[in-house]
Amino acid sequence: MKPDEMDAVFSALSSEPRRRILDILKKEPGANVNRVCEFFAFGRVAVMKHLDILEGANLVISERVGRERHLYFNPVPIHMIHDRWTTEFSAYWAGPLARMKYRLENAPIPITKRGGKRG
Amino acid sequence: MGEKGKAVFRVVIDGSQQAIFDELTRTDRALGAIFNARLHTTGLKPGGRMQMRTVSGDYTLVDGEIIEYDPPRRFAHWHRFTGMDDPPCRVTYELKPVTGGVEVTLTVDDMPLGTKTASEMQRGGDFILKNLKAIVETGRPPWSTRLMYAMFGAMEFVLPKKSKTAKWPLERL
Repeated sequence: MKPDEMDAVFSALSSEPRRRILDILKKEPGANVNRVCEFFAFGRVAVMKHLDILEGANLVISERVGRERHLYFNPVPIHMIHDRWTTEFSAYWAGPLARMKYRLENAPIPITKRGGKRG
Repeated sequence: MGEKGKAVFRVVIDGSQQAIFDELTRTDRALGAIFNARLHTTGLKPGGRMQMRTVSGDYTLVDGEIIEYDPPRRFAHWHRFTGMDDPPCRVTYELKPVTGGVEVTLTVDDMPLGTKTASEMQRGGDFILKNLKAIVETGRPPWSTRLMYAMFGAMEFVLPKKSKTAKWPLERL
């Protein structure tokens, strides 16, 4: 991946609405622009702008079907960024640590409960 | 039941369109971009039968039929995994010159949703394009992929018995 390609991916990802668009397309491959707009309070023009940036970074692929645009999330650039900094060894440790973080942050109650019992 | 899905993957590769096309369709040696499989075919033309076999040839991983062969632009085929009882899906590679190289789009159509075939294709799409790019740009797949291929050779026996090539003749009678 060339430096300018990588810049485009990172700058496209540095916006919460754009990250949400990727979530939507991952869940609903082939969604059209109207469908994506339903998830946002701001207007179609702003959504189209975000989509253009995502497409420019190769994170979204759009296919014209008649008068509609079908949108797909392209995971390849993110995969290549992952590969750049991840070796087999670090992946082995990073996976469980990341899962632990999710678990701890999403379910804080069992931990305080357990602490309470001990105390 | 039987809902069909679609997935699209894309990458830009700094290399010649013909070289990229060759890496996807060559039959003279293993396809480093595609799980180090050997492409076997009755002819690279629409209607030609195609299979992907392990390097030893003892196991047939996918079985299908060529839909389009238009070098160096498009290659499309039906295929199904021999180890799974899912319906076939359609795989299309489209190559297009763009500034900075060649844009390669891999589209999977008629993917049977919720099946093992669908999850294999989701993961496979990423894997194929990332390796294809590395092979064309640097001459070989990334280290992690090479390690995986080395394991494949030694671990062939873990493949299901129903994938044995003896059960999957290339020519259909």
